Amino acid sequence: MSEVIGFLLLGIGSGALISGVGMGVVLSYRGAGVINLAVGAFAMLSGYFFWAIRSGEFASIGTVPAVVLTLLFSALLGVAFELLVVRPQRSATPLAKLIAALGVLLALQAAVILAFGQSAQPQPTILPAGNVIIAGVPVAWYNFIIAGILLVIAVVFMALYRWTRFGLGTRAAAENQAHAMFMGLSPNRLSLANTVLMTVMMGIVGLLSASITEVDSQTLPLLIVPGLAAAMFGRFTSFSVTFVAGVLMGMAESLLLYFSTESWFPTNQGGPIPGYDELLIFIVLVVAMFLRAGKIPARGDVLERRLPAAPVPRAPVRSALIYGAIAAAALYFLPGGFRGALITSLISAILLLSLVITTGFLGQVSVVQLALGGVAGFAVSHFATNFGIGFPWAPIMGVLLAAVFGLLCGIPALRVRGVSLAVVTLAAAVAIENFGFGNTTWGGGVTGSYVPPPSLFGFNFGPNASLHGLDGIEPSPLFGWFVLIVLVLLGLFVCNLRRSGLGQDMLAVRANERAAAAAGINVQYTKLLGFTLSAAVAGVGGALLAYNYGSITADSYDTITALALIAFAYISGITTVPGAIWGGLIFIGSITAYALQDWFGIQGEWFTLIGGLLLILTLVQRPEGVATAMFYGPRPSLRALRLTRRGGGPPGGSQIADRVGEAKVAS
Amino acid sequence: MTTPVLEVADLSAGYTGAEVIRHISLTVGGGEVVTLFGPNGAGKTTTLRVISGVVRASRGRVLYAGRDLARTSPTARARAGIAHVPEGRGIFFGLTVAEHFRLGYRGARIDPRVVYEYFPALEPLKDRRAGLLSGGEQQMLAVGRALARRPQLLLLDELSLGLAPLLVERLLPVVRNYAEDSGCAVLLVEQHVQLATEIADRCYVLSHGDIVLHETGARLAGNPGLLIASYVGQQSAGPGQQGDGAGSGG
Amino acid sequence: MTALLQASGITVSFGSVQALAGVDLDVRAGQLVGLIGPNGAGKTTFIDAITGFVPARGRVMFDGRDISAAPPHVRSRLGLARTWQTIELFDDLTVHENLAVAATRPTVGSSLGELVLGRRQRAEQHADDAVALLELAEFAGRMPSELPQGKRKLVGVARALAGRSKLILLDEPASGLNTAESLDLGQRLRRVADEGVAMLLVDHDMGLVLNICDEVYVIDFGHLLAHGPPGDVRRNPAVLAAYLGGPADAAQQLDGETAASSAERAGEAQ
Ligand SMILES: Nc1ncnc2c1ncn2[C@@H]1O[C@H](COP(=O)(O)OP(=O)(O)O)[C@@H](O)[C@H]1O
Ligand SMILES: Nc1ncnc2c1ncn2[C@@H]1O[C@H](COP(=O)(O)OP(=O)(O)O)[C@@H](O)[C@H]1O
Ligand SMILES: [Mg+2]
Ligand SMILES: [Mg+2]
Repeated sequence: MSEVIGFLLLGIGSGALISGVGMGVVLSYRGAGVINLAVGAFAMLSGYFFWAIRSGEFASIGTVPAVVLTLLFSALLGVAFELLVVRPQRSATPLAKLIAALGVLLALQAAVILAFGQSAQPQPTILPAGNVIIAGVPVAWYNFIIAGILLVIAVVFMALYRWTRFGLGTRAAAENQAHAMFMGLSPNRLSLANTVLMTVMMGIVGLLSASITEVDSQTLPLLIVPGLAAAMFGRFTSFSVTFVAGVLMGMAESLLLYFSTESWFPTNQGGPIPGYDELLIFIVLVVAMFLRAGKIPARGDVLERRLPAAPVPRAPVRSALIYGAIAAAALYFLPGGFRGALITSLISAILLLSLVITTGFLGQVSVVQLALGGVAGFAVSHFATNFGIGFPWAPIMGVLLAAVFGLLCGIPALRVRGVSLAVVTLAAAVAIENFGFGNTTWGGGVTGSYVPPPSLFGFNFGPNASLHGLDGIEPSPLFGWFVLIVLVLLGLFVCNLRRSGLGQDMLAVRANERAAAAAGINVQYTKLLGFTLSAAVAGVGGALLAYNYGSITADSYDTITALALIAFAYISGITTVPGAIWGGLIFIGSITAYALQDWFGIQGEWFTLIGGLLLILTLVQRPEGVATAMFYGPRPSLRALRLTRRGGGPPGGSQIADRVGEAKVAS
Repeated sequence: MTTPVLEVADLSAGYTGAEVIRHISLTVGGGEVVTLFGPNGAGKTTTLRVISGVVRASRGRVLYAGRDLARTSPTARARAGIAHVPEGRGIFFGLTVAEHFRLGYRGARIDPRVVYEYFPALEPLKDRRAGLLSGGEQQMLAVGRALARRPQLLLLDELSLGLAPLLVERLLPVVRNYAEDSGCAVLLVEQHVQLATEIADRCYVLSHGDIVLHETGARLAGNPGLLIASYVGQQSAGPGQQGDGAGSGG
Repeated sequence: MTALLQASGITVSFGSVQALAGVDLDVRAGQLVGLIGPNGAGKTTFIDAITGFVPARGRVMFDGRDISAAPPHVRSRLGLARTWQTIELFDDLTVHENLAVAATRPTVGSSLGELVLGRRQRAEQHADDAVALLELAEFAGRMPSELPQGKRKLVGVARALAGRSKLILLDEPASGLNTAESLDLGQRLRRVADEGVAMLLVDHDMGLVLNICDEVYVIDFGHLLAHGPPGDVRRNPAVLAAYLGGPADAAQQLDGETAASSAERAGEAQ
């Protein structure tokens, strides 16, 4: 019993760090409406800065001046983040903001690896060492100090937002900027102040974390997942609830760590079952979600702003024939490396098509699509190796299984929407990756799970089929053609969906759930159907990916790739089929990435760094997506935006006019 | 004559590159109530948006107390004493009624008692979230808050939208008296033609982005035919009227 | 003849606020019924209660069925349509698509045909009819956010009409329209009602409500204050005091508006 108490107390410190990241998320959300995936990365950067000026990397300064300098650095970081990312994105959709933050996260991670290397650095602590014995267990003092400092911060923020003009103004400007300006508030300045508050607080978290962990490119940035869970408990607005939820989560993780050493704990290959703590976070989120009331937004609920328009496709069959023929020829004539990259591109496009359905049409942001693909992929592998079931039954059953999982993932969407749903599905993806795919029984573990090539009546058309390309090298164009045919069929299917009554219903749900219900649409049914359809499409992509790899591990469907998938989908056009195909052509592992590596030697962290920066730039330039803009022309109001925009002055006409009417509320 | 509080000269503006209002000129003096009439889509809302700065003019000038506003941000315009009650009310659904009165830039002071004097119905609702109020209650909050800011120029878009007749009848004279007492210039967009002409000093009629009539309120009130003629004359030119003919034929 | 809609004892509370207290209201087929009352009286809440958007006590009978417990989309499919005071259009769809969504209900069969074979569904006639009735043809291809407020209101009305419902609940359809536009809308609504579609009309434009309605209900603070033919309601002292304003000017104003509208009608008849 005393061990249980001891481990609970040991979790307070790391729990408080989760709270800190969670509160950073809340601050970003209140100040700028961003679900800021980069808050943990800001803490990391401050940690590195402190280490670098203390340990002799850049300088070796005493503790106190170094702390002051670090906080100053954090503030400057906030100013830069505000001016380069937040402000240009101010009237963008919440999803665009989330993706821009993702770009910052990826770029910062890549930058510190390029600057300081992969290995963790021993950041000097600023808190006193020493233990206190509680219930017979020694518990380090720093646990209580860290929690105490963050508790004070939480209380200060609470008071700030509830009782001061600054807090009121922030809340008002976050809801509707134009109206705030009519009242003489300056949304720009309010947003800047909030961002700087956030980065300075993350600087503090970065400094405090030294007692618990070394500084590296992973630990603090990835605290974002539990941090988001804590923030979601507080509905992205309450500091007190977020603080308590974070600390409790840290304590629960610590306790689970203790339990995992007990004999009764379920095991996998001798060790404790993998992914149990990710599962815990997911379960916590599901509970948080069900504590939230209401299925359909009620009177007075502020709705999130909409996604880019989803234009009706023009002449899809003709485009399919033209571009399909070009791709078919390329699959034969291109040299081997490019051919392989093109096949990866085509498969990525299928995965992106599934996002067009859930996010583009249905308006629900889902990070779990790649994991659903993984479900189908591992099903194909295990059906073949465990039961001897091959093509076509294994992929068919795999796709059905993915559809069932997709249906389950749709259930949260009945209660939460928009970016909150992104957070839930992110946790689901992390849990499936670690708990599901990391397990050797259901997934692939670290060694991987074999996938036999697809063959029908003894005729192999996998990547290693006997027909080779023009240069006589694998992968076989046969497999490429097979993937291409599947992509063309699914692309036409999604085009038809946009034009069908069902597709219109989905867009109606995306636009306004209350009005959709009043027009006779069964909102729940439409959402679940959309999730199921899109999961099936993702399942097809996942199964093809498995065939392409030949052997799959949890890394084949990892969460960072899943986030990148959403990001690429968005910048190339998440609402249209051309957008999905473009996204495939520039995605990680795509033909574009291969060319960059082959011709210019850009790869690894440099690719991520450049990719992250390009992501932010593209978002600012083409909020509707590159391919959508190209194929469907700029929409009139967007053109107006460009005509009327000028530096430094008030934002463009129609942009603001949209914002004037933006807070749509039921009455 | 002294300089008018608001002077709009040769103003054109629009959204998609296509202009919605063209070469509009109008003035509003201190203590004056001026109404802007016009059918739906005439450009009334757009005109107010250009004056408060959220839509940019493609040509022409907006002068406020003789000063050109071209380089002034909407925030700065609001601080200089322009209050805009926009279409859709301009309140914040997440804030309570009372919080709306604490909201403001440094130095702005709003006395809630002034608002409750104009709209006693709001006082019992002061701790309710504005999003939960009925449409009319929201309108009272928006107008009340604007009046309590003691602006020098008040832009009211569809003042009586969603308000009960009794309230409209009381509210319009309140605006009139407020303008007289405080010397505030009021530019009012209103659909209740009859009531509005009674309290207005002068009226402009906007149609398809052009000003087609400029008259004193007294003359219009006494001679409703004038206004109807200006509307109808313009409306039959618009596409809105074609189906009407078809309807009456059937 | 039994009423199409029979609402009895409708009561809605939000915490300590009682927005509706036992309101009874009937609408017969083809009837145009007005519902008026001061701001915050509970009119919108009543529409929400009938269409299933707020939990309410009391009983809602529609077309012979008890729908008190049915979710909103089921009520809509039974033939109960509504508009919103805050308009609530589908901002991601064009005006025409907005109406098409209401006019067509995809079935499993039709969806399969559309998805696999790419066939377009055809039953958008109702949408076109509604566009024609409210003269929205020039806006059909535009996005709702580009329309002026009054036109957006009309699109909302058209969407409700496109559903070919038996009863349409209209929440302030004429707000944002000027007197002439509102009278014009009234005549079109009257024509639809004469074809057999019942309507419940909430509006503050008395020229509109008292002229085209067959019957008027007045509520105040969630209670039914009066109910009867428009002529009676307009002279009811309680209604005058709570809603319309002082007896003398109110009667004068209303008579003026009535005269204007009958003149307009006469003009149309020519
Ligand atoms: N945000 C916008 N984008 C594009 N067009 C708009 C926008 N707002 C209004 N318009 C167009 O401008 C014209 C005038 O609208 P508005 O000023 O709202 O008219 P009013 O207020 O007189 O009814 C209308 O034709 C309308 O379609
Ligand atoms: N969800 C809610 N919570 C609290 N009060 C509400 C809520 N919805 C409506 N009300 C209150 O109920 C009353 C009736 O509102 P409503 O039906 O919108 O009035 P109206 O007759 O003007 O349409 C108003 O005072 C409003 O503030
Ligand atoms: Mg307007
Ligand atoms: Mg109402």
